[in-house]
Amino acid sequence: MSGPGKEIRLSRIIDPSDARAVVIAADHGYMLGPIKGVIDLGRTIASVTEGGADGILVSPGQAAKIGYLFRGKDRPAMLVRADWTNAFRSKTYTLPSRHVQHRYMTSPRQAMALGADAIVIYFFVGYADDQEEAQHVSRVARYARECEEIGLPLIVEPIPLGERITGANYNELVGISIRMSAEIGADAIKAPYTNDVEMYRDVVRSAGIPILILGGAKSKTLRDALEVVEEALESGARGTVFGRNVVQAPDPGAMVRSICQVVHGRKSAREVTRPVAEGKMKLRVSRPRDCTGCHICEIACSAAHGAGYGLESARLFVRPSRDGFRPVVCTQCLKCVEACQRRALAVDSKLGCVVLDASKCNGCGDCAEACPVDVVRMDQGRPLFCDLCGGIPECEEWCPREVLASVRR
Amino acid sequence: MGLPRDWKGFMGRLLSADLSEGSFAGQELDLKVVRLLLGGKGLGAYLLYSRLKPGVDPLSPGNMLLFLTGPLTGTIAPGSNRFCVVTKSPHTGTFLDAHCGGAFGPSIKYAGYDGTVIQGRAEEPCMLVVDGGGPRLMPAGDLWGMTTMACQAKLDRLLGPGYGKVVIGPAGERLSTIAGIFSGTRAAGRGGSGAVMGSKNLKAVCIKGSSRAIEVADPAEMRKACWTAHRMIRMNETTVRSMPVEGTCNILETVNEAGALPTRNFQAGRFEGAEALSGSRWREEMWVRDAACFGCSIGCSKISLVREGRFKGESTEGPDYETVWAFGPQCGNSDKSLIVHLEKLCDDYGIDTISAGNIVGFVMEMYERGMIRPEEIGGTKPSWGSPEAMVRMVEAMGSMDELGSRLSRGVRRLSEEHPGSSGFAMHAKGLELPAYAPRASKGMALAYATSDRGGCHLRGYPAMQELLGMRGGADPLETKGKAQLVIDSQDEIAVVDSCDICLFGTFGFTLREVYRMVNAATGYDFESAADLKMLGERIFNLTRLFNAREGFHRKDDTLPRRCLEEPMPSGPAKGHVVELDSMLNEYYSIRGWDENGSPTKPRIRRLGLDAMLGEAP
Repeated sequence: MSGPGKEIRLSRIIDPSDARAVVIAADHGYMLGPIKGVIDLGRTIASVTEGGADGILVSPGQAAKIGYLFRGKDRPAMLVRADWTNAFRSKTYTLPSRHVQHRYMTSPRQAMALGADAIVIYFFVGYADDQEEAQHVSRVARYARECEEIGLPLIVEPIPLGERITGANYNELVGISIRMSAEIGADAIKAPYTNDVEMYRDVVRSAGIPILILGGAKSKTLRDALEVVEEALESGARGTVFGRNVVQAPDPGAMVRSICQVVHGRKSAREVTRPVAEGKMKLRVSRPRDCTGCHICEIACSAAHGAGYGLESARLFVRPSRDGFRPVVCTQCLKCVEACQRRALAVDSKLGCVVLDASKCNGCGDCAEACPVDVVRMDQGRPLFCDLCGGIPECEEWCPREVLASVRR
Repeated sequence: MGLPRDWKGFMGRLLSADLSEGSFAGQELDLKVVRLLLGGKGLGAYLLYSRLKPGVDPLSPGNMLLFLTGPLTGTIAPGSNRFCVVTKSPHTGTFLDAHCGGAFGPSIKYAGYDGTVIQGRAEEPCMLVVDGGGPRLMPAGDLWGMTTMACQAKLDRLLGPGYGKVVIGPAGERLSTIAGIFSGTRAAGRGGSGAVMGSKNLKAVCIKGSSRAIEVADPAEMRKACWTAHRMIRMNETTVRSMPVEGTCNILETVNEAGALPTRNFQAGRFEGAEALSGSRWREEMWVRDAACFGCSIGCSKISLVREGRFKGESTEGPDYETVWAFGPQCGNSDKSLIVHLEKLCDDYGIDTISAGNIVGFVMEMYERGMIRPEEIGGTKPSWGSPEAMVRMVEAMGSMDELGSRLSRGVRRLSEEHPGSSGFAMHAKGLELPAYAPRASKGMALAYATSDRGGCHLRGYPAMQELLGMRGGADPLETKGKAQLVIDSQDEIAVVDSCDICLFGTFGFTLREVYRMVNAATGYDFESAADLKMLGERIFNLTRLFNAREGFHRKDDTLPRRCLEEPMPSGPAKGHVVELDSMLNEYYSIRGWDENGSPTKPRIRRLGLDAMLGEAP
């Protein structure tokens, strides 16, 4: 990085004490119009500030209007979006873009005058037209040169999109476009995480400059969003620039706090969202109407117990119900334990699930007979019982509609 | 039959059934072949190419009927429910692979097989049953004539629970070349595979998965790779919000806005009734529940219930985008309850809704132009959107009465009987075109013309970029660069079709996730996603070789005159025709095919096809 100006400003974003950053993107209005969460931008920014964000990304127009929210020693850094594109535009007022357009909107000097500690610009890789690609590169280079002159950090957001992008080359191009950005003069990167820790380690290493991962569309679950952060950090990324996942959360400040717990607090996604329950627990069908009959819970159960992918060895099953489908799980009613004449069944003292002592079992099947919901299967002469997977039930983990929930007893 | 050892992902064997002899045999998979082609479409292409006599009549005992899965079918990969029917199409004469969801695919693997290879012809209607008692043929005289739904319900009573089933309806029994093969409420719809099954006197195949499970080479990596793919689906706008809420009709209004929704037999690209047929309207007025295929976290399927009117009380799973189009804009109809009724008819009789609707629209245009009289079509007056005419014609095609037998042969053959109509008989290689207007979506035009089974929207899907704006979008009215776009899509889809998993998952994850899952499941060492993509290219070349051997060349990579010469009259694509020749030249060049559209020797060698086939094809 060239010069103290850039170093000082970047240190307001990437905390020098742990070399990590939690930045929130609130520049969507530029490209998408007034989406939920950015309508009352002042309120969102106040909430996000309170949550502990290190930096907030806004458009130049908004920076001019709400810049006062960044005044003061304990306020987040301001990042300004300096360019515009049609690639992510709202589809409710116009067709999806057919042709990626990109324009320089505000200069680094102008951004700095607004109070920016950094600017963020796009870098697209994947144009079919070589001329357009060349023009795009030269725009990015112009920003880089001016940023150098005035000591303003340049954060580049490289994204593979365009006619040349395929399912096969996308991930590779993430790495390539990041390195190209560094070569042109970026000081830090905002980029997608490619969902593969090993591969992203190489991406981080070859970048040579800090990478903050973007969040994309609003994730349905907090757990998924934080897991992506956790993996990216494991690969060496330095933090996040989440937008919709934060500004569209019911409580943006709380969302920021959760992200900070992972990024600065070094907690895992699971620790933040689902600490392993202590003590006895059981499975509950908490949202039966949402079951789509996909059977994912059964195959996950089967595989988790070493039986490969199949339906014969699952400890739960999905059956048709009056208005759709419904998983049937062990309710720990313990009628099987009562029915066993050979005292082969007991209740686990830690979790409360039923446990089989195979040495005492003769495969008579009385337990299966006694089960009021018919969930006890016989497999090669021995009954199978739900063991709650040691405290983190696989069925609950994998269910795409959150139909199952484990609860403390 | 003992299970072959050391197969991971795959079960390692196929069940061969000879219906003429009434005999069965287990056949181990050829490792050399599956390493180069995987399963599903790829394996099917190899079996057909290497074993089917060129020029065989598709409805003769000499045609083969394959039901195949892939190494990811039945696992926890997203959408791991798919199987495919592979055969020679009686509708087009080309290679045919038709994929289907539901639960039959996993049953095949849980029974210990990767698929079944059916040859010959039974003397009497029969069904193939595979369960703990082994494979056997059972008489199906009682089932013959039953609708697909009634037949499956009866089979449940006869056999008990736990059987994955595929059946044909009356249309397939009567050799309608638009008959499909049905499983649950889903279908391997296109190309007439139902007629092939009917020609073999085979009513149903029922397979019970008994105590077999699929082993994978690296369980920990498989779990991680599948978890990642599922997570990407959960975090993608289309697969977590759009499709689960609006089903596949989520794209209808967008396609209409782009002027690419074929209206009244492809005369125009925008339909005035499109809003009434949008996903949100279906959800409000017709859908009561979501449903998902086995192993799917998207749940794009919807259950419809008609709440009022003439068809009150009718219910079906669906309809999906293509069916809504086929009985909607294609025929000038915007009444959703009529569409539900027609889908039910098609499902019960067992015919392809896309071809059926396209044919009805074609007849409507002929009527509009005075080229066909009511006497020739059972007394109906098929003006645009006429419910009576639509019901009459679909009933006819389903029941294969005299009128239906004529209509079911498809628009190409119909147009041969009505001079002057071939210009607007909307097919490619004889397969009726689906719901994207070629003149308004030039990449789709090229995909239709070069697909290996005729006019199909799932053998190359550049609409993803051109009309839906994904991956940064592409200009639908531009021809430059479309050849590469179509080729990339065709190759990637071929990979997905050989895994065999549902294509919709790939809206959320990429080919890299597929490559990780394939490696983890099989233990094969594909080096990268690009390596796997080459496998897709190999498959597409193999099906091309099959078609070339059957006589298909450049002259057949074409579209109707309406697309090539008639300028689009209105909408965003106004004035446009499809400049197919230039796109085709670029396409052949990139594919490494000669000017006649045949794979050249260097390309065949590069793909390793000559070595695998043991000959210079």
